[in-house]
Amino acid sequence: MAITGQAFVALLPELISTGFLILVLLVGAFSPSNAGIAIGLAAFGSLAVFASAAVLLLTGFTGSFFGDGFVVDDFALYFKLIVAGSAFFAVLAAARWSGQTGDAAEYLTLILSVVLGATLLVSMRDLFGIFLAIELATIPSYAMVAFDRSRRESAEGGMKYLITGVIASSVLLYGIVLIYGVSGSAMLSDVADTFTGALTPVAILGLVLMISGFAFKLSVAPFHFWTPDAYQGAPTSAAAFLSVGPKAATFAVLLRILLEGMPGAAPTWTALMAFLAIITMFVGNLFALRQRNVRRMLAYSSVAHSGYILAAFAALQGGGVAFAVQAVLIYTAAYAVMNMGAFLVIDLVGEDAKNYNGLVRTNPGVAASMALFMAALVGIPPLSGFFGKLWIIIAGAQSGSILVYVVVGALVVNTVLSVPYYFGIIRNMILEEPTTDTVRSKGSGGVRFSVYTLAVFTTLFGLLIIPLSVLVAASGLA
Amino acid sequence: MITTITILIPLLGAILMLLLPDEERLSRYTALGVAAVPLLLSVYIYFAFGDDLNVAALTQDVTWIRSLNIGYRVGLNGLGFGMFFLSTFLTVIAVVASWDVRSNLKQYFAALFLAEVGMLGVFAAQDLIMFYVFFEITLIPMYLLVGVWGDENRRPAAIKFFIYTFLGSTVMLAGFLAFGIIAHTYSMDALGGGGGLSRAAQIAVAAPILFGLLVKVPAVPLHSWLLDVYVSSPTSTNVLLSGILPKLGTYGLIRVAIPLLPQGVEPFLPYVAAFGVINIIYGAFVAFLQPDLKALVAYSSIGTLGFILLGAASGNAVGLNGAVFQQVSHGLYSALLFILVGVIAARTGTRSIEELGGLAARMPWAGGLLALGALAAMGLPGLAVFISEFMSVMGGFATFPVQGALAASGIIFSAMYLLYMLGRVIFGPIERPAYEEIGDAGPVEMVSVVPLAVLLVVLGIFPALLISLQRPAVDAVLSVIGGS
Repeated sequence: MAITGQAFVALLPELISTGFLILVLLVGAFSPSNAGIAIGLAAFGSLAVFASAAVLLLTGFTGSFFGDGFVVDDFALYFKLIVAGSAFFAVLAAARWSGQTGDAAEYLTLILSVVLGATLLVSMRDLFGIFLAIELATIPSYAMVAFDRSRRESAEGGMKYLITGVIASSVLLYGIVLIYGVSGSAMLSDVADTFTGALTPVAILGLVLMISGFAFKLSVAPFHFWTPDAYQGAPTSAAAFLSVGPKAATFAVLLRILLEGMPGAAPTWTALMAFLAIITMFVGNLFALRQRNVRRMLAYSSVAHSGYILAAFAALQGGGVAFAVQAVLIYTAAYAVMNMGAFLVIDLVGEDAKNYNGLVRTNPGVAASMALFMAALVGIPPLSGFFGKLWIIIAGAQSGSILVYVVVGALVVNTVLSVPYYFGIIRNMILEEPTTDTVRSKGSGGVRFSVYTLAVFTTLFGLLIIPLSVLVAASGLA
Repeated sequence: MITTITILIPLLGAILMLLLPDEERLSRYTALGVAAVPLLLSVYIYFAFGDDLNVAALTQDVTWIRSLNIGYRVGLNGLGFGMFFLSTFLTVIAVVASWDVRSNLKQYFAALFLAEVGMLGVFAAQDLIMFYVFFEITLIPMYLLVGVWGDENRRPAAIKFFIYTFLGSTVMLAGFLAFGIIAHTYSMDALGGGGGLSRAAQIAVAAPILFGLLVKVPAVPLHSWLLDVYVSSPTSTNVLLSGILPKLGTYGLIRVAIPLLPQGVEPFLPYVAAFGVINIIYGAFVAFLQPDLKALVAYSSIGTLGFILLGAASGNAVGLNGAVFQQVSHGLYSALLFILVGVIAARTGTRSIEELGGLAARMPWAGGLLALGALAAMGLPGLAVFISEFMSVMGGFATFPVQGALAASGIIFSAMYLLYMLGRVIFGPIERPAYEEIGDAGPVEMVSVVPLAVLLVVLGIFPALLISLQRPAVDAVLSVIGGS
């Protein structure tokens, strides 16, 4: 198999992240005291990955390489942008924290490894390649969660994440092997020939196991139990990054598998997705309502938002397919800016809900940004989250399926259900008086810069992202 | 373009307020200046384009999301202009009447202006999604205005307000989306008359939209969020809360639900009229039982909103004109009463009707204006409310005789509690020796209430000032729904 110049161009984002990964690791090995260089390199590296993906997207570069196992299309490049962009903010947020402990370079290497895995993942068209890329993105993330040696919760969260993650991987692999066994090939285009019409019991088992594996990775109920502990224990930058970047990539590849590999089996998997979506939305929101710890609340909120995105998957039928794909594109980007921002505010303010009391008096800029993130997570227009939900409802309404209408109804109910806990934070920040628990101006300039930038993105999302994602979907999968 | 500028100026004003130094006089005068600009623009629009609002200078249509046919579409017509003007007018009044807000003044004005953006946007929106977006933009500033600057009960009141109306508007959005998806556009112009939907589809779409709008009004079984919010708010927030916010719901009924889904709302209209009657009678009876002057005014306000529902449901020219007019006259009189309650409470230190009495002797101006407001509320001829209530009842009676007759009797009940209130509070012997010392309303307070009283009288004597503007738009609605 000849590796052409074209293939090098196609692999540009992955090659760049590999290069910077090695550079940062070398800095850590030879000059461990020099955190500044490692941080600068990692930040520049993630921006370079972002820029290379953006250039490929703007020049309209597409193609299929390595025996059709690796594809570069607008769809893949879009998610590479989300991964690299969120990695950039994670690096900025990691700077202060890892600079103190003296092992910044190792931590940043882990972030870049996740970037490498996630960018590969969205381009894979081969089930085993997909599995490898998922593992490449997940294994460093176990270490990221457990990285904060100063807190016991970090090790606990990392351990729980590792154990459930390994189980999830085996379930996923088992599902993939069964699918491979049924169709005789791991290429999505070949799988599509087998997964059509009435499915054999083995094929259904393979499909269900594979989706269960993905459900673990995406913290979909009832496979979400690791999420609150892992996000609570993890360093804030890790929780922020893992909940948006790799997660978006995993949703993207699941979408690719289902649409390219199993379009004929859509009635089966849309029904499965509809049930998972309903359960996940309710579980996430009902548990989030009970949390006093803001990190755990955001962890359950991320479960709920996985449920919302699955609602778009359930709408991948009838007339809703094009809008459902757009909905996944828009929602993952919208969620990336608002959730990343909310987690970074935790880094500045703290994780106890009491820390937020009267924040608007002591720290008005951060409080206003957090209020924007919370309102966006609810889905108040014209902030980012609103557009995600708008597209999901539109896709659902066009799908023409009663079950999906029920899912959309559940989404509306859950949106209202989520108001008390998101607005609890806004109430604490704005309506309560400052107490001794209120944190006054803590944190580095990098985190502040990230929070404000993300707040602007959250506010102007409608103007920035809608044209891009609609364009991507027009030339994409659907 | 002028419409867009009018909507955007309060947004810029909100940002300007936040950038100002923390100085009370500067904040108050800047806020007054900012609030005056949209008012002047809407007055200019009235005189320059009053004969035909449907001109290019006032309209803007920019496609935003092509695949869904959602656009930034704004413009004015006779149904919305009265409220568009009233929003700018009451914002100025609210800025003047904000003497009871002492902490975080510039943030207060910023929130007030942000709310104004949403209100102006709703009354100018010509696209369903724009309508919804502006509808929701009012929500967070109102939540903050009540939650931060209200009295000791403010926090539960604010969150209750938020959750109720957010639930309503989310359901309404679902209805809008279903409507737009079936009709392939969200432009209100293109959707007129049903956008090609079958009768069954129109009914299915109209139900969630009506629910959302009736929560916002609020129609009586859906009103339980309201009292706490009204009573907890600072006076100047009350002005917008009672003067403008309920009309987002009634305007939606008149501008969106009825002309865009004529067959869909038709089976619901008798119930909308009945909701109106329930509002009128329930509001009057519960107001009678209130020991608190502000709560009495709040229920009076709910009650007279019922006339708008009745007139809107009537589907004839008299009723619809009355409903559109009542939106404005209700805003004027309820703002007047809420401000005067604030003035009296500030002087006497109480809002309890039991403890007040004989204020006319000490506060002739404030007392006289309170009497004027109360007389307006009970529909005294010569004042604006009389014209609009009378037309609403006449129109309602022609279509729904039972509801119309009951509504007319509601006017008698409202006279009962208002006269009782006046008798206790204004007339009679001076209740407490301390009241001998209090003075009349000061100049600032007078500036905030006199314009309202003047407009009540002027519109009562020359209703054509407004009705001539709204008539073509009402006729357009009637031609869609096939009424007369």
